[in-house]
Amino acid sequence: MVAILEKRKLRDFDWLVAALAITIVCFGTWEIHNAQPTETFWQKQLIGLGIALVAMLVIAFTDYRRVIELAPVFYVFGLMLLVLVLVPIPGISLKINGHRAWLRVPGIGQFQPSEFVKVTTAIMLARYFGKHRSGPLTIKQMVMGGVILGLPIALILLEHDAGSVLTYFPILLVVLFLSAMRMRIVIGAIVLSIVVVPAGYWVGVQTHLVKNYQQERINVILDPENADKRGFGYHTWQSMVTVGEGGLLGNRGSEYSQSSLKFLPEPHSDFIFAVTAETTGFIGCLLLLAAYALLLTRLITDARRSRDRTGMLVIMAIVGGLAFQIFINVGMVLGFLPVIGVPLPLMSAGLSSVLSTFIAIGFAISVQLRRFVN
Amino acid sequence: MKFVDDSQNLRGRLRLIQALILVLLAVLSVRLYVLQIINGQHYAGIAENQRIRLLPIPAARGRIFDRNGQVLVDSRPIYSIILSREDTKGIDRYSLIKPLSEGLNIDPQFLREQFDQVKTQPAFESIPIKEEASPADVAWVEAHELELPALRVEQTPQRRYLPDGMLAHAVGYVGEVSQEQLKQQEYRDKGYKPGDIIGQEGLESVYDDYLRGRDGYRKVIVDSRGRIQNEVERIEPQSGQDLVTTIDLDLQRAAEDQLRKSPQGRGVIIAMDPNNGEIFALASAPTFDPNLFSQRITTKDGRAEYQKLLTDPDKPLINRAIQGRYPPGSTWKPLMATAGLQQGAISIDSSNLVCGGGITIGNKFTRCMGGNHGSPNVHFAIEHSCDGYFYRLGLKMKLEGIQAMADEFDLDKRTGIDLPHEVISTTPSRELKARLLPKDPEWKDIDTVYSSFGQGEDVLTPVALLRAHSAIGMKGKMYTPHLLKEVRAIAAVGNDPSRPDYRPERPARTFDRPQPKVLPIPTDQSDLVVHAMWSVVNVAGTATGIKMAGFDIAGKTGTAQVVRLGKEGSEHKDHSWFVSYAPAFKPEISCVALIENAGLGSRFGAPSVRAMYDVYYAKTRPAKELSPNNVAIRIR
Repeated sequence: MVAILEKRKLRDFDWLVAALAITIVCFGTWEIHNAQPTETFWQKQLIGLGIALVAMLVIAFTDYRRVIELAPVFYVFGLMLLVLVLVPIPGISLKINGHRAWLRVPGIGQFQPSEFVKVTTAIMLARYFGKHRSGPLTIKQMVMGGVILGLPIALILLEHDAGSVLTYFPILLVVLFLSAMRMRIVIGAIVLSIVVVPAGYWVGVQTHLVKNYQQERINVILDPENADKRGFGYHTWQSMVTVGEGGLLGNRGSEYSQSSLKFLPEPHSDFIFAVTAETTGFIGCLLLLAAYALLLTRLITDARRSRDRTGMLVIMAIVGGLAFQIFINVGMVLGFLPVIGVPLPLMSAGLSSVLSTFIAIGFAISVQLRRFVN
Repeated sequence: MKFVDDSQNLRGRLRLIQALILVLLAVLSVRLYVLQIINGQHYAGIAENQRIRLLPIPAARGRIFDRNGQVLVDSRPIYSIILSREDTKGIDRYSLIKPLSEGLNIDPQFLREQFDQVKTQPAFESIPIKEEASPADVAWVEAHELELPALRVEQTPQRRYLPDGMLAHAVGYVGEVSQEQLKQQEYRDKGYKPGDIIGQEGLESVYDDYLRGRDGYRKVIVDSRGRIQNEVERIEPQSGQDLVTTIDLDLQRAAEDQLRKSPQGRGVIIAMDPNNGEIFALASAPTFDPNLFSQRITTKDGRAEYQKLLTDPDKPLINRAIQGRYPPGSTWKPLMATAGLQQGAISIDSSNLVCGGGITIGNKFTRCMGGNHGSPNVHFAIEHSCDGYFYRLGLKMKLEGIQAMADEFDLDKRTGIDLPHEVISTTPSRELKARLLPKDPEWKDIDTVYSSFGQGEDVLTPVALLRAHSAIGMKGKMYTPHLLKEVRAIAAVGNDPSRPDYRPERPARTFDRPQPKVLPIPTDQSDLVVHAMWSVVNVAGTATGIKMAGFDIAGKTGTAQVVRLGKEGSEHKDHSWFVSYAPAFKPEISCVALIENAGLGSRFGAPSVRAMYDVYYAKTRPAKELSPNNVAIRIR
C-alpha cells in the first residue's frame, strides 16, 4: 500500500512546478551574486533555498486537508508573530530602514513574518470560502473575508509596511472572485475603483493625508525623465537606466555594473530584476517572465484539477498573490509603478520571501498530489 | 472538476484570471522592449556617462629663461583643495561652511563667496576651497573622506615670477581665461575652457601658444559617491615649450635698480643689441608683482591689491617702454641731422647753419637753450645740442622732410616688438596739429621749428627712439626689437600618431622677423653723426660726465618739457632722456633711459645708461683684465 502510494505520489508530484521554482531561485542566486559579489547574500540565498525545499517537501507530502483543518491555529499563530514584531524586544524584533517588520531567528537570520502570514491568511480564507456552496456570495461572507484579511493588514500597517499590505489584497480578491461573487458586483467594483482611486488620491493630496514623499513617488513615475533624478526620482531613474543599459543581450562587457558602482540601490533584493535586465538583457528578462508565466499557468492548471474547492482556492490565492507581486515589483523596476518595497518572488534575496513562496508551492503540490484521493 | 458550480462559471473565471496574468506579463514585456531595445542605447549612454569621469592632468607651462639660462619664470606644484560640484548638488553647500572653515582654517566668508559665485557660473565643475594647501590640510581631507566625499585634492602648477616686480612688464603674467575671451572664436578654437590658465600680458601672452602645455587626462570609473574605482585610460600631459628670452638678468637688475633710485621712481630703461634687435633689458617703473595675478588674484586681498594697481596715479601696470609716449626733446636732433644730410638740406662739407641764440618767426622769438653758438656745423650742433641750428635745419627740411625722416626711422609705426599693446608714436603732421589745436589748425613755420628740436606735439615711445638711434649706429640697419631668443622644442607624447590624443612634437623656433630694415644712409653721413654723438660723451658735449675709459659711448641727451609748462613742483619737472649705443664705432649694445620728471638729461638719463654700460662692460670685458697675470700685478 505504502509502495503504491509512494509510486503514485512520485508520478503525480508536480515536478514541473518544483523544477521551475528551483530554477528561478538558482537563477536569482546567480543574479544576487552579480549584484553584490562581495557580499554573502547569494550564499544565504542558497541556504534559504535548502531550508525552503525541505519545507516544501514536508508540506507537499502532508495532506493539505489536515492543514486546512488546522488553518485557524496557523492563522492565529501568524497574527501572534505580527504582534511580536511590534513589541520592541531587544535581540528579537528588529528595526530596519525605519520599518519594524523583522524578527531575528537565532541561527537563520532575519525573518519577516508578513511574508509568512500571507500563506496562513490564504489558507484561512480558503478554509472559510472552501465549503460547498450553492449560491452566490453573500454580504456576510464577504465581510467575513474582509475581517480575515483585515486583521493581519491592520497589524502590518502598524509596522508602516504599506508595500506588504498591498500584496495581501489580491489574495482576498481572487478568493472572492472564485467564490461565486456576482459578476455585476465584480464589474461594479472595478468601475468604482477606477473612479475612486484617482479621486481618493486627489482628496488625499488636498487633505495632506498622502504625505509629500508619497506624492513625489507618484510624480516620478508619471514623468521619470524630468523628475528629480537625485532625490525622489533617484531609485526609479537609476533602475530604468540599469534596465535600459542591458539592451538585447545584456551588458556583459563591463566589469563595472550599475549595481557594483552602487548607482542602483538594493540591487540584491527589491531591484534584482534590474540586475537581471543589465546582465542578461531583453532575452534573459523575457525568459524569466516566460518562466513565471509557465509556473503560474501550471499552478492554475493544478487548481483546476483540484478535487475540492478548498484546494482550488488555496492554489489560486497563492497564484493571485504571486502574480500581483511579480507585476508590482517588475513594474516598479521598469519605472511605471511607484517604488514600494515588494520583493520579486523567488528572485529577490531574502529568506522569508523564498520560504513562504516555497511553502505556498508545497501546498499547491500537496493539493495536486491528492486530486484522486478521497 | 468535482465541484463545478456552473451558475458562476468557475472554469471561465479561472481562465479570466489566467488571461489577466498573461496580459500583465505581456505589458511588462512591452515595457522591457521599450526600455531595452528602443531606448537601450540612450540608457547605455547615460549609464556610461555617470560612471566615467575625465579628470584633467594639468600640463606644466613652459619655463622662461634669460639668455644665459637663468630662470625668470617657472611653475611649482601646489596642492589645492576643491569641492566637486557634481557631488554636492543635492545637499546644502552652506552647511559645509562650518566644518570646512574649521578643519582647513579658511575664512568662512570666503567659502560663502565661493558658493555664491558657483550659482551664477554654471560652467565650473569644481569649487576651489583652498589653494596652496599645506600637507596638514591634505591629510585632513584624506582623513575625512567618508564624511566629505566631495572634497578632492588636486595638484596644480602655479606660475612663479621673480620677486620685486622684476621684469614684470616684459614677462607679463598668466591668469584664468576670462569670460570675454571665451566668447571669442579664436580662444574657443584653441580649446580654452573656463578655469584654464592663459597668458594675459607680456611674453606670457604673445607666446602663449608655445608656453601652454597640452593637458592630459585620466579617464576613471567612479561609483555613485564619486569615489574612483579604477583608471581606464591615462593620457600624459605634454608640457609647454620652454622659452629663452634675450634678456640678460644682470642688465635687467641694473636697469631696475637705476629706476628705483630715480627721483620719482618712474621711468624706462631699455638695452638692446643693435646688431639684431635682441632686448637685453626692458624696465618700466613703477612696476608690479606679477605673482599677484598667478597666485593671489582669487583672494580678497589679491583683488584689493589689483584695485589699488588700477587706481594708482603712477600707473604701474603700464609698460612705459612701449606704451609711454614722451616728447623726444634733443634726442630728436641726431635723427634730424641724419635725415638733413640724407635729404641734402646740409652736406658733410657744408653743414654750417646760423644759431644766433634763437630765431624769430613772425613776432615771436624762440631762443636756443644753450645760448648763442654762432654758426656751428652739424657736428658741433649735435655735440652741444644747439637748438638754433636745428630750428633752421628744420625750416630747410620743411615739414615734409621731417615727416620723411619719421617714416624712414619707422617713428610713425609700431616697432613690431614681440610684446602686446605697443602704441604708435605720434610724429609731426598737419593732421596732428589740426586735431590737437582745433583753434589754430594751420601748420605754420613755428610748428616746423618746434618739431625740429623735439618739442612739438609729437611724442615717441622709448623703444621706437632706441631703435632709430641704434640704426644710426648700425649705419642704417634697423632691426625689430624682440625678446624671443628661442622657443625650445618639446618631444611628442604618445606612440600612435593616428590617435586623437597623440601630441606631436613641437619644434623649436626663433624670432620670426630677424631681417633688418635697411635705411639708405650713406656711410660717410652716418659716420659723421656717430662721431658727433661720440663727442657728446667723449669730447665736450652734454654728457661728458659719463665718459668711460675703454668703452666708447655715443649718445645724446634730451630734456623733454612736460606739457604742463609753467607749473612748479617736482612732478612737473622735465623728463630726462639719454639715448646711446656703444662702442660708438662698432656697437654691441644700445641703451635708452627716460627718467620721468627728473630734470636735465645729462644729470639723470645719462648716468643711468652709464650704470648699464658698467654692468655690460664687467660682463663682457673682464676676461682680459682679470687674467691671472693682471691680478698678480694688481696685488703687487
